[in-house]
Amino acid sequence: MPNYKIADFLENPENTQKLYGYCGKIARINLTTKEVSTLSTYKYVPKYVGGRMLIHRIFWDEVAPGTGAFDEGNKFIYMTGPTTGTGIPAGGRSAACAIGPSVLPEQFTFGNIGGWFATELKYAGYDGFIIEGKSEEHVFIKIEDDKIEILPADDLWGMRVHQTQKALEDQFGHEFKSMVIGPAGENLVRIASITTSNDCAFAKGGFGAVWGSKGLKAVTVHGTGMVAPADIEKLKYLRLNMNHPSMRPSPILHLDQLGVPGGEFEVKYDRGNVACSPGCNQRCNALLMNGPSAFEDEPVNHIEKCVSASTFGYKADIPAPVGMFWPTKQNYCAPCKLLGRDFPEPDFSDPDFEAQGKVILPDIYDLWKPDYERGTIVNDLCNEYGIDKWEIDVWLQTWLGMGKKEGLFDGMDLGTGMEVDVENTDFIRTFIDNMVYRKGYYGNLFAEGMARAIREMGYDKYSETVYHGRHSQMLGGQRLDIPVSLEGGWGQSVHWQGRGYEGSVEKPTWLAACIIRMLSTRDANTVEHFHSEFEYHAEAMADPYHSPNLIRAIINVQNNAEIKDSVMSCEWQSPDPWWPTMEAEMYKAATGYDMTAQELHDAACRSKLLLRAFLIRNHGRNRRMEIEEVWRTMSIPDSWGEVADWQQWNEMVDLVYEARDWDLETGWPYREAYEKYGLKDVADEMEKLGYLPKRPAEHWHDYGEPPFVKFTENCKEEAARAEN
Amino acid sequence: MGEKIYATEPVTAEELADYGNHIVQYSPEYSLCAGCETCSIMCGLSHEGFTGPGNSRIKINLGTRSMIHQVLACQQCNDHPCYEACPKKGQAMKIDEDTGVVYIDEEFCIGCGLCAKRCKFQPSRISMKRDKVRKAWKAVKCDLCRGNPEGPQCIKWCPVRCIGLSDDSVFVEGNATPAAAEGAAAADAE
Repeated sequence: MPNYKIADFLENPENTQKLYGYCGKIARINLTTKEVSTLSTYKYVPKYVGGRMLIHRIFWDEVAPGTGAFDEGNKFIYMTGPTTGTGIPAGGRSAACAIGPSVLPEQFTFGNIGGWFATELKYAGYDGFIIEGKSEEHVFIKIEDDKIEILPADDLWGMRVHQTQKALEDQFGHEFKSMVIGPAGENLVRIASITTSNDCAFAKGGFGAVWGSKGLKAVTVHGTGMVAPADIEKLKYLRLNMNHPSMRPSPILHLDQLGVPGGEFEVKYDRGNVACSPGCNQRCNALLMNGPSAFEDEPVNHIEKCVSASTFGYKADIPAPVGMFWPTKQNYCAPCKLLGRDFPEPDFSDPDFEAQGKVILPDIYDLWKPDYERGTIVNDLCNEYGIDKWEIDVWLQTWLGMGKKEGLFDGMDLGTGMEVDVENTDFIRTFIDNMVYRKGYYGNLFAEGMARAIREMGYDKYSETVYHGRHSQMLGGQRLDIPVSLEGGWGQSVHWQGRGYEGSVEKPTWLAACIIRMLSTRDANTVEHFHSEFEYHAEAMADPYHSPNLIRAIINVQNNAEIKDSVMSCEWQSPDPWWPTMEAEMYKAATGYDMTAQELHDAACRSKLLLRAFLIRNHGRNRRMEIEEVWRTMSIPDSWGEVADWQQWNEMVDLVYEARDWDLETGWPYREAYEKYGLKDVADEMEKLGYLPKRPAEHWHDYGEPPFVKFTENCKEEAARAEN
Repeated sequence: MGEKIYATEPVTAEELADYGNHIVQYSPEYSLCAGCETCSIMCGLSHEGFTGPGNSRIKINLGTRSMIHQVLACQQCNDHPCYEACPKKGQAMKIDEDTGVVYIDEEFCIGCGLCAKRCKFQPSRISMKRDKVRKAWKAVKCDLCRGNPEGPQCIKWCPVRCIGLSDDSVFVEGNATPAAAEGAAAADAE
């Protein structure tokens, strides 16, 4: 329904396709020169769709090889999508990238975030922004419609996350929405997050420290404009049909039990469910109400997600039904329904009901006893200091718990003045305080993140020591070995990788998760969860390394993640395995541009190629590097005591590379792959730099020897000692 | 009724006598506002064809720390002081003869702001807007989606059913028993 009020963007001469949904411009904000300019979104869309795909193109164009996370040349590139602010479900999320200080080695990494910020930015008239340069003074950025200012942040510097959010609201008005960093980002703690007021965060890349290095405390925005979707009737259809919202009242629940299934404990608490961002038709975020605060006398409300679950008590890991990763059509339930406790009644007529519902019992760890107050305070510390909960909840705490039991910390206090004790709230609080403010040797050390700290302390001992307290429920309680450090690749914690946190999954699932992690630059599982239709489960179980449908599913998961982070949707809403055109329909409803599902899939392939190209050009990515990155994880026994087979694993990697048309030896795409997706310019540059492989005359299969894994050797030595 | 944010307690007929049918937010014990702003977004889409804070007739006071949000809309006062204050009443501000709802014709609104000032409620349920969409000051208020056979779009599209119409509210006297509330929840679930 065109009307005079939307003529501004429809009549923009750069908007040759007459696209709705976009604002049409991206702000470029240089903190060194204090210059602000804009570039046209229409230079990139519809080809690069929005969000992550658009980010990849800009990163390729603008960030030079050799740039470090804290260098002036690092850029924080933030983008919304065409559905953002339209009312299309989950479109309120947004994406960003930078060279990430938390990942090891430092390299391009990315994330997505909820909150009200993205929608407000579009009301101000911007599809995104690029923050570049470095300010010598502490600053924040204020965006109010067309006016962008870089203002002094001396009064804000030092404040915690919610203090900063409130100070900005108090100063400029409640309608201003902000993304901020806490003390962790200011102090260049590598795991620092950027956080919205509702505890949504860019947590995984350490982007908070990137802002800190740029002297940037916050970006606050208010807009008085609008976002116009092209097809409101279609938008309504999407609202009604995406994840079949049941439109039920969602009362505050007064509960008396908390904890993961099998590890529940009695505690009285109140819980609500809220949406993470404007326009969603779900409410998957848990609102834990009136919990103890780490800083205030008054109780506070926290938004918590699945990562927080173990913090309240870690007797066992999290159980997972097969259908969580391999759903049937009849019993498919989107993750947002599960997290929001809004799932439908099971369909017992499903012939695969029992098979998909079979629960894989988690391994027992017995790491810390249930303690609601302790868990809430740890989570509040993460929220308020602005740090990645995965690093604290999943990696640091399990490391402390396992290391303590193995005697790693005998006679040590890790700078706290207390005995190392993960169950002691005072200990964990002091440890985190020291880390955030870089106090003392250990504070400074762990401010570099777990991966770097453990290497500095001595990798062989502090990572690879065997923990003897893991017992598999799938093997009747048999003890299984695991190292004390749950590292899963690229310097981040394990995640649905078959061992460790969220670890009890079948081999095809963890092989897929490891491939997806290997090809990424971070824990990809928070943004690219593996799933495939149950009808392919038997094939994958029969020969997980060579299942054509498993390879197809891996490619689809990767491409779908690219699509949902670009059209802009949510990991919990998209994809719907039985609605493959959903994202294309979302895109058309937002923009009016009739992009087919196949064209969107091609755009995802293009974006993945750009990612691959700059990982090679900027960071020297190749096959050996990425295989070594995840091999250690796969050398740890899974819940059935199995490890990966080197030969077959390499054959599986071959199949994925071949599906992408990449060279098997180097892992580099061929020219034809780039050109197929309209990236001749990229192919030309890669050729100039020597990164364009020639197709070999014969099939390459020189896999060499598997990388040395100290943990495996430790296990063998222990077994030998036991025999003697 | 005037200062009540949530219909947590039964509302008596006496309390309702001063107001026409209007949007009410239910207690979080019945349904917690999810903060999704769907009410505001669908209001803007319905009235204007696009979203944006200035294009919604419903206000959401976001509890950005507590996550407890307030949904605020015109209470449709029977004595309509906003209408009485309007210097262009009958043109800029009109009364629907069938429902008694006061509505605004932006074309004739001169942006004086008297209607917003005369509103009994704090914050005023009438917003004065001059923004990137409206270049001159205009008054904006809820008209219960007058003329739309589907009724108020905010209610129709709320994913958690945390708002409703006062006339149909389970928290109106006579309906407001725990059993009635549970019955309404069950009916919604179906």
